[in-house]
Amino acid sequence: MTTAATPADEPSTAPPAFEAKATRAVHDWAHDSKLLCCRVDPTGRYVVAGALDSTIQRWEIATGAKSTLAGHENWVRTLGFSPDGATLYSGGYDGRLLVWETAADAPQPVRTIATGHGWLRGLAVSSDGQRLATCGNDRMVRVWSAADGQLLREHAGHPQIAYCVHFVPGSHDLVSGDVIGNVFHWRGDNGQLERQFDGAEIHNLIGDLAPFGGIVNLAFSPDGKRLTACGLHKTTNAPAGNRRAVALSFDWATGEKYPKQESLTKELDGTMWRALYHPSGVMLGIVEKEIGFWKDGEEDAFHMAATPSEIYDLDFHPNQIDLFTAHYDGHVRSWRCAAG
Amino acid sequence: MSNPSYRPCGSFQHAIGRRQFMGDFLTGLGAAAGASLFSHPLGAGEIAKHGKSVVVVFLDGGISQFESWDPKSDSETGGPFKAIPTTVPGIHISELLPYTAQQMHHMALIRSIRTDLDDHGLAKNIVRCGRQTRSATEYPELGAAVAKGLERDEFPLPGHIQTTLAGVGGRANNAAYLGPRYAGVVVGAEKGGVVNTQLPDGMTVTADSRRHDWRRFANDRLRSKIRTAEIDAYTQCYEQALRLMERRDLFDIGHEPESVQEAYTKTEFGKQLLLARRLVEQEVPFVEVNWGGWDFHHNNFEFHLHYVNHFFDRPFAYFISDLAQRGLLERTLVVVMTEFGRTPKINVGYGRDHYPNAWSIALAGCGIQHGAVIGKTDAKGIEVTDRQVDHRHLFHTYLQAVGIDSSGEFDVAGRQVPIADPAYGPIEELLA
Repeated sequence: MTTAATPADEPSTAPPAFEAKATRAVHDWAHDSKLLCCRVDPTGRYVVAGALDSTIQRWEIATGAKSTLAGHENWVRTLGFSPDGATLYSGGYDGRLLVWETAADAPQPVRTIATGHGWLRGLAVSSDGQRLATCGNDRMVRVWSAADGQLLREHAGHPQIAYCVHFVPGSHDLVSGDVIGNVFHWRGDNGQLERQFDGAEIHNLIGDLAPFGGIVNLAFSPDGKRLTACGLHKTTNAPAGNRRAVALSFDWATGEKYPKQESLTKELDGTMWRALYHPSGVMLGIVEKEIGFWKDGEEDAFHMAATPSEIYDLDFHPNQIDLFTAHYDGHVRSWRCAAG
Repeated sequence: MSNPSYRPCGSFQHAIGRRQFMGDFLTGLGAAAGASLFSHPLGAGEIAKHGKSVVVVFLDGGISQFESWDPKSDSETGGPFKAIPTTVPGIHISELLPYTAQQMHHMALIRSIRTDLDDHGLAKNIVRCGRQTRSATEYPELGAAVAKGLERDEFPLPGHIQTTLAGVGGRANNAAYLGPRYAGVVVGAEKGGVVNTQLPDGMTVTADSRRHDWRRFANDRLRSKIRTAEIDAYTQCYEQALRLMERRDLFDIGHEPESVQEAYTKTEFGKQLLLARRLVEQEVPFVEVNWGGWDFHHNNFEFHLHYVNHFFDRPFAYFISDLAQRGLLERTLVVVMTEFGRTPKINVGYGRDHYPNAWSIALAGCGIQHGAVIGKTDAKGIEVTDRQVDHRHLFHTYLQAVGIDSSGEFDVAGRQVPIADPAYGPIEELLA
């Protein structure tokens, strides 16, 4: 009988500690079309990215092996995984939600759902994996059964294009944001609109006609107490792209707004296409070509990590120290937010 | 919610410079001296021109040809919008224009324009004037040339009217040597009509009439001793303003049935088109509907989704069908004009930049072959591959379509000035 090894006998496998200021480049994988979105599967095996050439690109993180998932007929705008990582969901400007086996050798869509959104812009998977939510140009939020693709519920109420949708962690409740700054909280049990958050201050109306900005994306803080909407503000010339990336957070319980978070020291034109939280509570956000890091309660970023090209999406590896970014130049890059 | 001012390239040309009525009128006098007083309407082709109108819808800033008239759906340059069929077999336009696609049998497209100038001000100058302004010579804009070319004696309204959103009246300075008589009169398109056309409180019609009698008396007395273009132009403007006041109801789109106002969508653009239709009914030679802000260096696709699909398509298509149903399209040329196209390359902000190398316009109505497509660009929309034309050909074509001999000359104070660039001609195969 051998004696079981104790943790002290084994080489340490604990990941290094998250350290924003130590962020450094690790991988750089190229595709020949611009990228709009990326996600890392929950097992940490793959990173996938959606492209303007209507494909999804899948890289195996350990080897860099690249595969193409073809099935969409327009830009691929949004991606999501089932909690076990076995299933990949993708949404595109063709209005379709495609379902894929993540690890298939030659992936083909195993299900196609015509969502009716026109452009499908937002996609979310519930934390129990049972429900999918989508939204888009038709101003609707729709909930689908992950098991069979059946439409379960429709939420009407956004007066303008619905940009993003997320499940409230641990529940079937939803939050959705639109291009004129509305954030709606929909109940998962009866589908009713529970309440509304006012994010109109991060949207503009250009020429009295076209909304610019709005609720581009949403994120919950790790403790679930804060709902963060991201996008842009301080627009001085929208058609020229003069604006600042910003995050606007609400207290989830009271709806009270927190001070906006942006890059104040380093002024850059940008839209915060995504904000996400590290379990430590540090918020990360896209600011043009840079990744910004904010501490809870601080308005200015405490660190900015530069990258070679404009970033359109980012996602954490499940180890919570490796960060993946999707870029305008068609590259997916990874960054280790840790020393050593 | 904020409403930031619109300054796309930081260029002063982006500011819509509508000077106030008399201020701009005075500016025009210098160029007009010796011109408007002695110039005369064209003599030839009077019958062919009778009752004709031109309506220019000017999309100021540069609408994208990819997101309108020359979609390249299957190309990396094409963007996310698809091409849709129209009522003319074989012609496809952007899916952003589903209503307009149903009017294509009244329309024609030119997809092979190359103009080389990518500065807003310079580009607008050449597409409006058909020639490039040189330091010593300014040319009249199309509206002035048409107003003069289609001028009729005793016509009670200005021949060159530009509609605007704010409802403020004014007079443009765009007639060059033709003089202020042919410069654009700027009017608003609102319920209630042109502002400041009612008599002030306390002023009776009788008293107002006496004022004008006194002005005319003083003018005539002065003119008996001194006759100058300036004095004649002043007189003309006062009389024109009076005629506008007498016809103020014409400018009040509130007189249209509610259903018609709804059909035109009650947007700022729709209201201008409705006013344009009312003016065409009165045989006003030239009407320009100006819509600024189309300079989408950033966020091109989102802005085109809103501007083209949500705000342009329906009222424009209804305008064309309304003209057709009323029999007005048979004598009206409609031009959807802009100063250049947008780049095939989608830039880092998902915008498109200025691109004069290969772009498009649309036309409808009289004098043109309906369902025609002139020219072609390559698969990515980078180069013109067939029947390249430029602003000079276009200027000739607009005039010829309404019966104005563009190879003719204006008589400006005894000096013969070519109406359009004499080295060029119209797009003959487009003309009906």
